[in-house]
Amino acid sequence: MTNTLHRQGTLESLKQDYMIFVHTAKGKNREGSAEKIREFMKICLKHNPVNMGDVKLGSMHQDGVVMEQLIANQGDGTVGAAVFTDLDTLQKVVEELIVADLGICINITGLLEEVRACCRKAGITRHSAEHSLGIWGAKDRLPEREVMEFNTMCGHGMVSFNLIRKMIEQVRMRRMTPKQAARMMAKCCMCGAFNPARAEALLEGMRASGFLYSRRG
Amino acid sequence: MDIDKKKCVGCGNCHIICTMGAISLDADGQSVINQEACVECGTCDRVLRNEGYQPWAVRAIRKVLTLCKLGYLADADLCPTGALTPPDLTWPRVLRAQFSNPTVVHPGTGVPGRGTDEIKSNDVTGRLRHGEAGLVVEVGRPGIGAFFRDVERVAMALAPLEPVFEPENPVTLLISDLKTGRMREEVLGEKVLSAIIELKTGIERIPEFLAALERVQHQVDTVISVGIASRCLADGTIPHEALVKKAGYTLSPNGKTNLGLGRPLFREDEP
Repeated sequence: MTNTLHRQGTLESLKQDYMIFVHTAKGKNREGSAEKIREFMKICLKHNPVNMGDVKLGSMHQDGVVMEQLIANQGDGTVGAAVFTDLDTLQKVVEELIVADLGICINITGLLEEVRACCRKAGITRHSAEHSLGIWGAKDRLPEREVMEFNTMCGHGMVSFNLIRKMIEQVRMRRMTPKQAARMMAKCCMCGAFNPARAEALLEGMRASGFLYSRRG
Repeated sequence: MDIDKKKCVGCGNCHIICTMGAISLDADGQSVINQEACVECGTCDRVLRNEGYQPWAVRAIRKVLTLCKLGYLADADLCPTGALTPPDLTWPRVLRAQFSNPTVVHPGTGVPGRGTDEIKSNDVTGRLRHGEAGLVVEVGRPGIGAFFRDVERVAMALAPLEPVFEPENPVTLLISDLKTGRMREEVLGEKVLSAIIELKTGIERIPEFLAALERVQHQVDTVISVGIASRCLADGTIPHEALVKKAGYTLSPNGKTNLGLGRPLFREDEP
């Protein structure tokens, strides 16, 4: 789940983007973790995440995926994730997870200070933290900033630059709604880390202020 | 990935989905994959629904529509004839799938995705202790991809600084000499969506590593996403924050937080 570390966007946009996920360590808490991971997923599902998934089994926006069935099939050591768009809901999920005391490793990706405050309110102190230092190297090979905001929501790189451009174009041509285009992008992301609600908001914003190369003054 | 030429009708949907832009139309109007550029991520095969139509029927309908000067706007997430064919991958090409297809579990680490643990389980492993910092150097991300020769170049720039390369990491397992960062010769020509070099060092030495990365970043024809992590202090302060800022680097406002709910919790007095 380094795949969640380098999400790009404005502060306002990132305020709608919190991902919580589980991880286990070999020889520590991986063995026999399946039931605990399932319990984590059930707690998250109860709070209506905008996306959710398991890297091996798929995410809720993919064809034929039924979350209850997916959860039932989760095994030891898999990586489950859920995306929420507001801190209040995240807070409730964290509090419920503390009470459940599952013993698996739980991580959150999002604005670090907001997450720290969320931990404080829940009565815990964060254990470890990781920052992005951005993108280095041949940055001239990267596409437009707007495309990057969508692409970095799936750090595994499953949402291609070409698909993002196509979806933006489809919305511009009114062949797809922002919701449909966002769902199409979310479908490519296997683990459920992509935030379709934020993608939809970004597309709505483009519709209001101008699309790629056609920004209105 | 392969495309069955008998089935492909050249609709072009896989061109758009392809994470590496490795698919194009050939002279016969059928899709062809540049095998050098394909990283075997499997996205095309997973995302595009197989409609199961007969290729001759699709071609005939298309001809009729063309004669009538009509077009058909198909959904972007389907392959009308199921022409995509996942191949049986052998060494070393199988590395492409192991590093690019998140559903594949890395055989060396048992972790799916990019196969790394980083701080995600630091509460139980104690991989990063007080006074240490971890660097996560992901070569090829976002969306450009990298050959292992690029990964090797970055590893060789960092190795002289004598970091502790994370032993349970898929890239470390391919490094044949940890002192030089040199990787196994036979893997260098393989391309992946991204590969993560994961290391740790004393927190005060982080600026040296970032300076080495600054030097090598222009010697690779790809992008590098860089992350830094550390164990928080008792009050939740992140120790690397002030140090990195002082060294002149900008930290993201967002990032990853390990809540410390894993059990058994690692104790600093453990070996």
